[in-house]
Amino acid sequence: MEKFVVKIVLYTILILLGLEMLVRIFHLHKDRPSRYLDEYNVEKWIPNQNGIWVTGNRRQNVGHFRINSFGYNSLYDDFYPKTNKKEIALVGDSYIQGFHQDFQNSLGQKLEALLNEEYKVLEFGYAGYDLADQLHLIKAYKHLFNNIEHVVIYMQYTTDLERDTYAVSNRFSLNTPLNRFLKQIKTVVYLRDIGLMDPITRSINGLTNLMRGKMYSETAAIEDPEKADHLKLENFKRLIEHYEYDKHKNVLLLDYSICSPQFLTYLEQNGFKTIDFSKVFEITKTPPTLIYDQHWSNYGRSLIANLIAEYIEGK
Amino acid sequence: MLFNSLDFFIFLPIVFILFWLLGKDKAKTQNIILLIASYVFYGWWDYRFLSLIVFSTFVDYFVGKAIYNNSNKKVKTKWLWVSIIFNLGLLGFFKYYDFFVDSFVDSLLFAGFEIQNVWTLKIILPVGISFYTFQTLSYSLDIYREKLKPTNDLIAFGTYVSFFPQLVAGPIERASHLLPQITKEKRFKYEQAVEGLKLMLWGLFKKVAIADSLALMVDDIFVNYGTYPSSTLILGAIFFGFQIYCDFSGYSDIAIGTSKLFGVELMSNFRFPYFSRSIGEFWRRWHISLSTWFRDYLYIPLGGSRGSRSKAIRNIFVIFLVSGLWHGANWTFVVWGLFHALLFLPSFYFNTNRKHLDNVELFRSAKTFIIEGGQILMVFSWVMLSWVFFRSETLADAFSYLQNMLFDFTYWEYNHPQGYRMWDYYVLLVGFVIFEYIIRKDERNPLDFNNRFVRLLCYIILVFLIIMFYDDTMDRSFIYFQF
Repeated sequence: MEKFVVKIVLYTILILLGLEMLVRIFHLHKDRPSRYLDEYNVEKWIPNQNGIWVTGNRRQNVGHFRINSFGYNSLYDDFYPKTNKKEIALVGDSYIQGFHQDFQNSLGQKLEALLNEEYKVLEFGYAGYDLADQLHLIKAYKHLFNNIEHVVIYMQYTTDLERDTYAVSNRFSLNTPLNRFLKQIKTVVYLRDIGLMDPITRSINGLTNLMRGKMYSETAAIEDPEKADHLKLENFKRLIEHYEYDKHKNVLLLDYSICSPQFLTYLEQNGFKTIDFSKVFEITKTPPTLIYDQHWSNYGRSLIANLIAEYIEGK
Repeated sequence: MLFNSLDFFIFLPIVFILFWLLGKDKAKTQNIILLIASYVFYGWWDYRFLSLIVFSTFVDYFVGKAIYNNSNKKVKTKWLWVSIIFNLGLLGFFKYYDFFVDSFVDSLLFAGFEIQNVWTLKIILPVGISFYTFQTLSYSLDIYREKLKPTNDLIAFGTYVSFFPQLVAGPIERASHLLPQITKEKRFKYEQAVEGLKLMLWGLFKKVAIADSLALMVDDIFVNYGTYPSSTLILGAIFFGFQIYCDFSGYSDIAIGTSKLFGVELMSNFRFPYFSRSIGEFWRRWHISLSTWFRDYLYIPLGGSRGSRSKAIRNIFVIFLVSGLWHGANWTFVVWGLFHALLFLPSFYFNTNRKHLDNVELFRSAKTFIIEGGQILMVFSWVMLSWVFFRSETLADAFSYLQNMLFDFTYWEYNHPQGYRMWDYYVLLVGFVIFEYIIRKDERNPLDFNNRFVRLLCYIILVFLIIMFYDDTMDRSFIYFQF
């Protein structure tokens, strides 16, 4: 029996080492950049990091990212506007951040290719940003955004209006020594990304909650949709008031199909500029999203770039 | 509880440790632990149906004693009928009641009598009922045929009926094989336990990497068969052939492997059936525990191949028909069984069904390669055709599928419903067939390579492939649970 247990432990270690080797050789894992808080309390990526962002168990989608000197994934380092150019800023979460595609072929680059040479597109995408994060960034870097011609803010109605003021996110809790250590083990990163660790984390969380005396209640997760929509609208109103939202310069990039009618009516009645991409996504036969997650595919990005270009040219 | 779930990977080490720590040198304690573990394992799925297993255990335990203790043949027969009626009644009610009522109403409708069907009960099928009822039935039958003495140990008998590794999808064990192993004290053997772990890994690979990853495409092709060209329908039948083989043989391997960890040897259920050179050989290699069960308890009592040719042919049709019906309450399974009976008949008629008792050796000579390779391809093609009946929802679907597949040849490339690379799956299947050919000599020890580095490499590659093809959105239950 002892021999059996020893052999199991030994072979488990050897198999894990073998897996680590294979995961690294085939680069099946995502490279995860490190984050920091800058002098304006804006959460960004630590500048000058490069890596590969892999999606799917078998490298179904691969994108090279490049964190520039400003802390965002972009081809450009210089984010300060020039007098001979008209700047467009794209602000948003992981959809704008665009790790799923090579940075040379990002949404911003696609947009630039569609517009004439006088335009330069600056990308301020950061995974997890909600509207509070985005408006805080714009306000904090007022000196920069004041000189930008158009600011396109991508907002996901369902997730980006959960709060009415900015506070440093709990994403930094991911920076624990344990997580930093686990990030170095590429097999763990890979298994986490493809969902193989989910049953384990769910069980651990369930057990922890049980020990703390909290029982998970499904009913808690289901809230009254009307109340939720009302709260989102109130949060939106407070945010635009607090961060002095510029209705002339800013335009909201939205998926109308997931927005509440009250919210859309409010936007329309109060003169907010919007770009809706739900219709083009609805009628297209080619999938506008990736296989393994809901981020925009190359084709989806092209559709979005077209819509923004039409908006800019229309102006 | 599923073999391929986290629950099982927590459950198994706990039971293993308790079994060998507390049950060391004590058969009774070992069986109590196994019995409790088996009830937990089954109750994890649906505790309400545990009562059926417990009830079935009591009935056959006492019936077995009654058969043995009575010297009067008529009384013995009466007691045997109690067991048969109880077990088949249980199976008939839960599995076939709705089917027969529906079929009766449909036949009346066909004859011109329109009646409203108010008798179906929408009964939920308890998992594993087809397996454990056959197992308990074999106990009473073996005692009746004086091949076995009844046990006086109710705990051991309960463990035999509900032994968790094979409770829900077999292999269907005979009391004469499994019960003596349960009754005696089990001793830990290193080689046996290691073989068990290897089999579990191999079974898990077949289930997760192959069966589950093909499931999505098979479902898509069989549901939308009307919109696909014949080339895709052929692909669908082949994929289903691999899916069901890997799903069921994967389950059996994990079951046999798990039993080995507890010092118990279960019978083999699959012996690389897709390398069969005749239908007779295929049935000696596919779902062995069921086909031998029918052979021993139905075909031979009916007279087998003794007597007249017509009687023997009738017996063949009976067992294939019953075998089809055993799989499910649907006419598609009945036709599947009859189709195999028809395939089997020529070899029976020309007395070649006992040919090919050895393992295939394709590379012995060019002639062997051509002849035996051709035979394998031929059998594989027939079996793939039969799977269309097995997988289709209705007979009408099966016939339309076959018609589109065989009589209207068109081709265009098939794309995965979720847009994944198709080449990944083609390479996986070709690699799998080659590997199965390499290991075809011993189904109970598939990763038995002499060189330890080759063995380690196999383990790493199998785990790697399991991860590469794992899909967290898949329904991971085993196909044979529904039977």
